[in-house]
Parts: sequence; structure tokens; C-alpha cells
Amino acid sequence: MPPVYNWQLGRQMDYRYPNGGAQRQFAAVFNTNRCIACQTCTMACKSTWTFSPGQELMWWNNVETKPYGGFPRHWDVKILDLQEKANPGAQVWNATKKDPKTAPYGTFEGKTIFETADGVNQVVTGYIPTEDEWKGPNLHEDTATAFSKNGVSLPEHSGWFFYLQRICNHCTYPACLAACPRNAIYKRPEDGIVLIDQNRCRGYRKCTEACPYKKSMYRPSTRTSEKCIGCYPRVEGTDPLTEGLPMETRCMTACIGKIRLQGLVQVGADGQWLEDRQNPLYYLVHVAKVALPLYPQFGTQPNVYYIPPRWVPRDYLRQMFGPGVDDAIAAYTAPSRETLAVLQLFRATQQIVFSYKVEPGPKSGEVKVGNQVRELFNDTVVGFDSKNREIVRVSVDEPVYERPAKVTMNTI
Amino acid sequence: MYKRLPRVRRRWQLGLGAAAALLAAAGLQFFDANPATSQSLFLTAYSAGSDPGLDPADGVWKNAVPVQVPLTAQAGTYAAGGGSIPTVSAKALHYQGKLYVRVEWADTTKDESTTKVENFSDAVAVEFPAKSAASVPALCMGQADAGVNIWQWRADSQAGIKDPVDVYAGALVDMYPTKDTLFYTARAAGNPYANPDQGPVQTLVSQTFGTLTIANVQDVRGQGAWNNGNWAVVFTRSYAGADPSQAAFADGATTDMAFAVWNGSEGDRNGRKSVSAFVRLTISGTDLGAGGGDNTLAIALAVALLGGTVVIGAGLAISGYREKAAR
Repeated sequence: MPPVYNWQLGRQMDYRYPNGGAQRQFAAVFNTNRCIACQTCTMACKSTWTFSPGQELMWWNNVETKPYGGFPRHWDVKILDLQEKANPGAQVWNATKKDPKTAPYGTFEGKTIFETADGVNQVVTGYIPTEDEWKGPNLHEDTATAFSKNGVSLPEHSGWFFYLQRICNHCTYPACLAACPRNAIYKRPEDGIVLIDQNRCRGYRKCTEACPYKKSMYRPSTRTSEKCIGCYPRVEGTDPLTEGLPMETRCMTACIGKIRLQGLVQVGADGQWLEDRQNPLYYLVHVAKVALPLYPQFGTQPNVYYIPPRWVPRDYLRQMFGPGVDDAIAAYTAPSRETLAVLQLFRATQQIVFSYKVEPGPKSGEVKVGNQVRELFNDTVVGFDSKNREIVRVSVDEPVYERPAKVTMNTI
Repeated sequence: MYKRLPRVRRRWQLGLGAAAALLAAAGLQFFDANPATSQSLFLTAYSAGSDPGLDPADGVWKNAVPVQVPLTAQAGTYAAGGGSIPTVSAKALHYQGKLYVRVEWADTTKDESTTKVENFSDAVAVEFPAKSAASVPALCMGQADAGVNIWQWRADSQAGIKDPVDVYAGALVDMYPTKDTLFYTARAAGNPYANPDQGPVQTLVSQTFGTLTIANVQDVRGQGAWNNGNWAVVFTRSYAGADPSQAAFADGATTDMAFAVWNGSEGDRNGRKSVSAFVRLTISGTDLGAGGGDNTLAIALAVALLGGTVVIGAGLAISGYREKAAR
């Protein structure tokens, strides 16, 4: 197996293929702190792509309640368990072996799902969730770890849960792609979206077995597997609404909690993100380091990044998002002026924002975070499309409008 | 260095050893036990007296001589496991320009539903070199200058592809906005594997691992039946292949043929299967008469020959000993 570089793990790792050479990569940031699990994203996806016979148990987008929920049931616990059994006691990070560019979270010293596989029965360590496990996609909804009689307080709530929003991670090193013996799965160079060729698939379910996030799903009515297609017609810009310019996916644009931001980032030949300081995703992931990959230790270099929930015990979060959790929560709890401005871009437009600039505004107030008093500024963030034209302009302070005293018909 | 034995005693031993080996071989042959099967197996397709059809239980097969083809785990391009089915019993016939192949194997579980994500189908395939093959192809999916033609029969295909709502009688679905084929994505993409009208057999072509593709013309027919822990499947196709990527046969011709069996309950699919080596298939001009293909006579002859050889060998050894002793 050729070695490839996984920057999320801070090291080289084995993968079945050399780096695929994607020039741009589909990527997104989900802010778990803001999600209310309304499932609007889930239904937007369902009503667009998976409403037909054989797709009943298929939810390309789902929102599950952690720690108990999971679709399919207990998917993450099962993979973690398989990995732990394959490499007992050694699935550890070295958080001190860091480099701002090549190992921002430290170095993972355990084994990835590619490295624990025996190579005979499996190219990738994994399992096939049974049909039963795909049923009840929102089991354990809103189930907290404990009832906190005396209420809760930060930094860690004594009884807690949080919502985890999940789509296909369109991984840089997709496990599904590595496992497919038919070469039916491919990663598009133009946007890094991972697709299953419905003409070549013969339903071996190797991808269902291999994908650690369980986002490759079997469809009995065609005997093939299907997966999240990253709404590629929208990302390609073929929707007439945006006049040929790339547009965010259905699940992203439907988000009423404004927790999601999706875009395309530039990727080098080695699979790492090219420096693109003014791309909002690049800024959040690589500069502010406020958003982290989901279970990076699996080794697929997933491309959906999460702003971790502030109230959840850190051990749990470190297991889920890696050792970058403490810094990410600190950066979110007391955001810089720039971070606060970039966060305003979430759901401000349906078009993909390729770059932004921040126009400084006046001081608008003060807020106490912990023991520190922080100043707030009413900065304005401006988003630009792929042709560097302004598409959105949002201020940090939400504008306030006063209604006339006399309310007329149809006045909101 | 060991001391050399006297010539006389060595001859005795040789004679006894030969006799023992021959007797053992005769015994094994007689009881149909085969501890180490030869690398080269031969299967002959005799001319059938009547059309064997697709029914594995058709009487015409009774007279055809089976070849026991041993199977192993798949260890080709990369090992992929399998190997739970140790052997298949293969027979072949031809009738009016059509080749018939009948494969039977023991499988206690009848796996013919793939509605659940965790369930896999039983299946069997036979593989031939493509008509255009310049050399003997690699067993695993052929090679660039020597493709292979694979006929695969699947239990789930024979049972039929169904929508889950038609499988689960109590399933409750609010509504399907449409049931148009367009939204059965793989079908709409033209994937024959997803087509419920395809039938139980597919003919496929391949020119190296990872290039297995459905053949343009689907002209192989087949049918399987499961009885008392045994699958029996019949394949048939006209001698002439539709195009150079497919196999071609002729009266009196010889070709290679390999077998693969998938055991659904073992999670077999794709490379995870039990496979054979190539077997030589001869399409004989000889008629398969009633009892003509029975091998009782052949075995009796073989035993007589073996017995004779043993007697001669022993006689020679004894006479040799006597000669020596007389000197």
C-alpha cells in the first residue's frame, strides 16, 4: 500500500491508492452548539434523494443524540471497539508532537482502520450493521446521561447530551472507495465528492462494511449501495437559481438553526489543504482551529468539521474529535473578532462563499466570559463567490427594526 | 552414511511397496475417495440423447459422469477469503449445438434473499477463456490478452428482486411520491444487476481483476434447485459466443473451465468465494447412451489392471529373490 499523508493524524499512513489528486475538496463546518435537532436537514435530503422503494431505511443526512443515539445504532462505539480490540491500549494520541501546518492536533500513534485490517477478509476494518440497526434512526433522542437535580453549569454539565449532525464526510482517503473490489466508487477531482457508480455496483456491501461513518447504505430494491452524493448538481452550479455558480447542498441550505457552512477548499497534490486564508472554511479549520474532524483516528481524513459542544465532558469530546478539542472550545467560547464575523456567514446565502473580508465596525458592547470582560464590535463580514463578486454582507449585531405603533394588516 | 542394504532385500521392499501403493490407489478409486486430486481434471461433454433443458433433475443427467472439482479459498489478485464449499460435482452435455453444464454442491442453508443488508445470496459461476484469448487466461478474472467469460447464476436473482414493502407484509409507508424506474437509480443507470427482469443468470466478461463487466448480449440461460442440502444448477448456451469476449465451443473441441461457488450464509460475495483451478473440458462427439457414461466398467477394468500389475510386480520380486538365493 502506498503511504499517504494524513494531516489530521499528523503522520503518514497506509492507503490502498496513492493520493487521488483532487484539486478542490467539498468541506463543511457544523456548529453543534447551535443545533436544535429539528431534522429539517434530514427531511430536505430525504425529500430530494431517498423517497423511493428500497430507500426506506436510508438517511444520507441524519441528526443523532449523543452519547446514546446513533444511526445505524451504536455505529461509532462498534468501530471504536473493533479498533481497540485490534490494537489494545495503543489507540493513543501524542498531543505534544505538533506542527501548526502538518500536525495541528498532534500525532496519532495508534492504528487507522486501514492499518488494523488483515488484508484478506477485509481491506478496511469494519462491520455491516444489520437491517435492525438501521431502523429507529433517532432512537435515544434527547436522552441525557443523568438528570441534574441542581441544574447544570459550564464548563461541563453533569447531565448532558448533544446533537451530532452527520452526512457523508467525502473523505480524502475514503474507506468505501478502498474497499470496493469493483472500482465502482470514485472521488471526483473537481470537488472531491465521493460517488458510487450505480452502473458498476454489484451490491457486495464492502463499502457498507468499510465506511466507519456508515454513510454507504444498501438498497435491496436495486441490490446496490447508495450514498450521499453531496448534492453534486448544486455544487456544480447547474441549478438555474445561482446562474451557474456553485451552490450549497440541500441539507446545508435548509438549516434553520444556521449551524452549517459548506464550501469548496483548494487541495494540493499531497491531499493537504492549500493555504487560502480568506476562505471561511480554511479560516475556521486551519487558522482559528475552532472546527475539528469527526473521529479523525479512523484515518479517512473526513471533510466535515465540527465546532464541539461547549458543555460536554472533555474526555468524551477528545475521543470523538481528537486532542484539538480544548483549543477549539476556547476559541469558540471567547471568539476573536474575525471568528465572530466569519460565524455570521453561516446560512447567510445559498451560494458557496469562496472568500470573505471583514470590515471593522464600532464597539457595540461588552460581554463577560468567565472572569474576563470582552469587548464586542459590530464588524461586517462580506462574502464573495467564485468570481470574486460580492454575494453576501452580514453584520455581527443583528439589525433591529422597530415596528410602527399602529400595526397594519400583513405587518410582521 | 547408512549401510546399504543387500540388493535382494531392496527388491523385496520395492515390490511390496508398489503392491501396497497400487492396492491403496485401487481401494481409494473404488470407494470414490480422493486424498490428493490431480492438478489436471478432465470433464467430457457427451452428446445428449434428448434436450436436457434447464431442470437439474432431468433424467438425461443421470448417465453423465461427474467430475469432483475441489475448491479452495480465493487467493488470486489479493486474498479475499471464502473456501467454505470444498467441492462441486460437475457434469456436462451437449445437444444440438448447445452446451449444458450442471453443477451440484452441498450447502445446508438455502440463501436466496438479499433484502436485508446483512444477507448474501448463494451463487455459482463457471468461467471459460474468451473466444479471443491468445493464451490460457489467469484464473482470477483473466488478463489483457486473454479475457474470460463468466456465467453466474444467483439464488436471489432466481427468487426475484423485490421492494422491501413487498417482502414485509406489515410494512407501513406513508407514500411514495413516484415509483418511476428513474428513481430506482441503478436501474435507471442501466445496471443489469439491478434489473428485476434479468433472470437468474448473467454472462459477464473480464480482462483482469476489477474489470468484470456484464456482457453486451445476455444469451446464457440457467436454473437452480435446492433439495436436501444440495444445490443443483444447470447452465446452457449455444456454442457460438455473441462476440469475441465470450466463450465459444464446438464439437470435438477442448477448452478450459473453472468453477466458483458463493455461500451466502458465510458472507460470500465478490472475491470471497470457493474457487477451483481450470478443468479441461472436452466436447466429445460420442453419444451418451443409456449407461454409456457409467464408469463401473472403467473402474472394473482399472482394478483388474491394477491387480494384474500387483501380481506381476510381486512375482518379479519373488523370482528375483529366488535368483539371488540360488546363486
